[in-house]
Amino acid sequence: MKKFLVVLQYELKNYFKNKSYMISTIFLIVLVGIGMFLPRFFDMSGILGTPQKNESAQNVNESDNATSGQDSKESKNMIIYDKTGALKDMSLLNSIFKDVKWQIATNEDEVKNSVKEDKSEAGFVVNSLTDYDYYIFDKSMSDSNTYSFNAALTTISQINYCTTNGLNYAEVATAFNPTISSNEQVLGKDMSQNFWYCYILVIVIFMSIIVYGIMIATSVTQEKSNRTIELLITSTNSNSLLFGKVIAGAIASLGQVGAILCVAVFSYRINQAAWGNKLDMILAIPNNVLITFGIFGIGGFLFYAFIYGAMGALVSKTEDINKSAGGVQMVIMIVYFVVLAQLSNINGIVIKVASFLPFSSYSAMFARVAMGTVAPWEIIVSFLILIASIVLVGMFGAKIYRMGTLRYGNPIKLSNAIKFLKHSK
Amino acid sequence: MRLEVKDIKKSFGENEVLHGVSFDIESGKALGLLGRNGAGKTTTIRILMDVFHSDSGEIFLDGKKFERKNYQIGYLPEERGLYPKKTVIEQMVYLARLRGISKTEAIVNSRKWLTRLEVNEYEKKKLETLSKGNQQKVQLASTLVCNPDIIILDEPFSGLDPVNSQILQQVVRELISENKIVIFSSHQMSYVEEFCEDIAIINKGEVVLFGDLDKIKREYGEKQLVLSAVNYDLDELKTKCISELNDVLEITGKTKDTLIIKIRDHVTRNALLTAILTKNIEVEHFETYKPSLNDIFIAKVGEE
Repeated sequence: MKKFLVVLQYELKNYFKNKSYMISTIFLIVLVGIGMFLPRFFDMSGILGTPQKNESAQNVNESDNATSGQDSKESKNMIIYDKTGALKDMSLLNSIFKDVKWQIATNEDEVKNSVKEDKSEAGFVVNSLTDYDYYIFDKSMSDSNTYSFNAALTTISQINYCTTNGLNYAEVATAFNPTISSNEQVLGKDMSQNFWYCYILVIVIFMSIIVYGIMIATSVTQEKSNRTIELLITSTNSNSLLFGKVIAGAIASLGQVGAILCVAVFSYRINQAAWGNKLDMILAIPNNVLITFGIFGIGGFLFYAFIYGAMGALVSKTEDINKSAGGVQMVIMIVYFVVLAQLSNINGIVIKVASFLPFSSYSAMFARVAMGTVAPWEIIVSFLILIASIVLVGMFGAKIYRMGTLRYGNPIKLSNAIKFLKHSK
Repeated sequence: MRLEVKDIKKSFGENEVLHGVSFDIESGKALGLLGRNGAGKTTTIRILMDVFHSDSGEIFLDGKKFERKNYQIGYLPEERGLYPKKTVIEQMVYLARLRGISKTEAIVNSRKWLTRLEVNEYEKKKLETLSKGNQQKVQLASTLVCNPDIIILDEPFSGLDPVNSQILQQVVRELISENKIVIFSSHQMSYVEEFCEDIAIINKGEVVLFGDLDKIKREYGEKQLVLSAVNYDLDELKTKCISELNDVLEITGKTKDTLIIKIRDHVTRNALLTAILTKNIEVEHFETYKPSLNDIFIAKVGEE
């Protein structure tokens, strides 16, 4: 235990004396901290889309001219060729397409050319009230012009029908579209609120494991390549060496990621009102989710860090680490993509199973706690499985580490290492 | 203290590399552990250091089973290795603490050995900025920083200039005089002859020669003489001896200036000298052969 603490202290000192580690940590903490306090000192309504501090409701009402002047700056151009003549009165279109300046074309080619030459953002050729052609040059993912135009044509058809049949369109419209008020009460979790911070935290833990895992493997391999390893393993036992390295990596990782995350979350909480709750979906992380993330994140980190340490001992050159650690990286990547893909199906069987498997529970269980409904026994069982797996992987990793440390030359295949361990028993 | 290695066997896979290695050594003495490359010296040392476990055989210290963790062993491996990017004192203190020494004592001991080996001025320098010889001295200081009872030095003189070699020789003599057990592995036989009272020569995983070096030399030189002539060069003398003196002597080797001959069992020295003189050989050297360790080593493991 004493020697483990010596290794831990030495390895931690290495991290804290590492300039890039310290500079990046301090820089990010300061940056995030300052960023969170900015709305207290600067008007950020332009960025946040919130009303300006000095822009009262009165001001909004009183200056129609100014507003329209501003609107004209942001308005888009669209072109229309109406073969039916039903859209002569543009008021309906103007009410639906609020920021659009309409140009009337005299033929279909004029519409196409205008769009092609980028004079108009989009163009419509109305063949009848139930058939039109839509022209667009580069269609964005959020393009909703056709929905709006469909609404316009539908309304015209409805008005025409009411007129033909002697009905009052306003009355019919009110009858068919009553104003409904709803009072939503989410008794479980609101996925629309939790999705983004959950998504970000899954990425954070994934990156931490990959980055620090490789650092641990590199540290082991470097000791092998500069031949320090022989002195180390003849000075203390290999368990102290591997456990010291891995726990130091976990503390350094937790220190860096945890500090940045805490600064972001807690300084946002202080400035939540100033931000107008705009970052709630990313930073209003409940304490129970943060704690679950911390506990399962550390567990998952340790699980993989021991494997990375052992993989580092199987090679003699740092450039060979990817050969031995490639399989582990692949598992981590698969877990990452599966969990992200299953965030929208948080109570599905895939993520439920993943939340109990030790190589995926670190992100799957945390995601379930954040976004779904999980019974306490599930969290406890998953955590116990994770702890037991960490102990087993730690012991196995230490054996591989011990076996691999004095074997130089070509990378040792994991299967050969396991065979050797069986044989040596 | 008396360290006994008894019938150690070790295999890697199907390949048995040690076939029953045995030797022993006492405090205040140095044992020269010799052998060709790949003979099994490093494996034997690693078993002593508990890096490998032997398949059979045992190690005893003062008659009790040797528990590596209960003793301080200073080990200088053949493959030198320290942290190139760390300062000298930082890594010495770390290694000392790994061996159970307190931080304060580790700092004191580190400074003591750096001073003794005349590299104290580099205490705060990164190891990679030092010359190879000074790195070697730092490595030796790291070996001794824990005040070991047993010291294992694998090729300690490699990379040292004559002045540094002299400093190291003095240190080794001091360690022996301080009643430490010193195991000394080297291919530089002159150093082994200088420090080691006992030797163990390992060849292909077996100890082929073990014992007191002076006694071995005496036994090896027994009934052997060196011979040279004024009127023949060595090749002519060899031809003449084989053709005309085969009944009284046997040629066993040669040095730069002399033939090494062995007297046949029934022949006395006087009779041999008389026989030589009657063959018209004008004797230049005729004296007892005193083999060097190098000669013994080559004779024991030189031929396939």
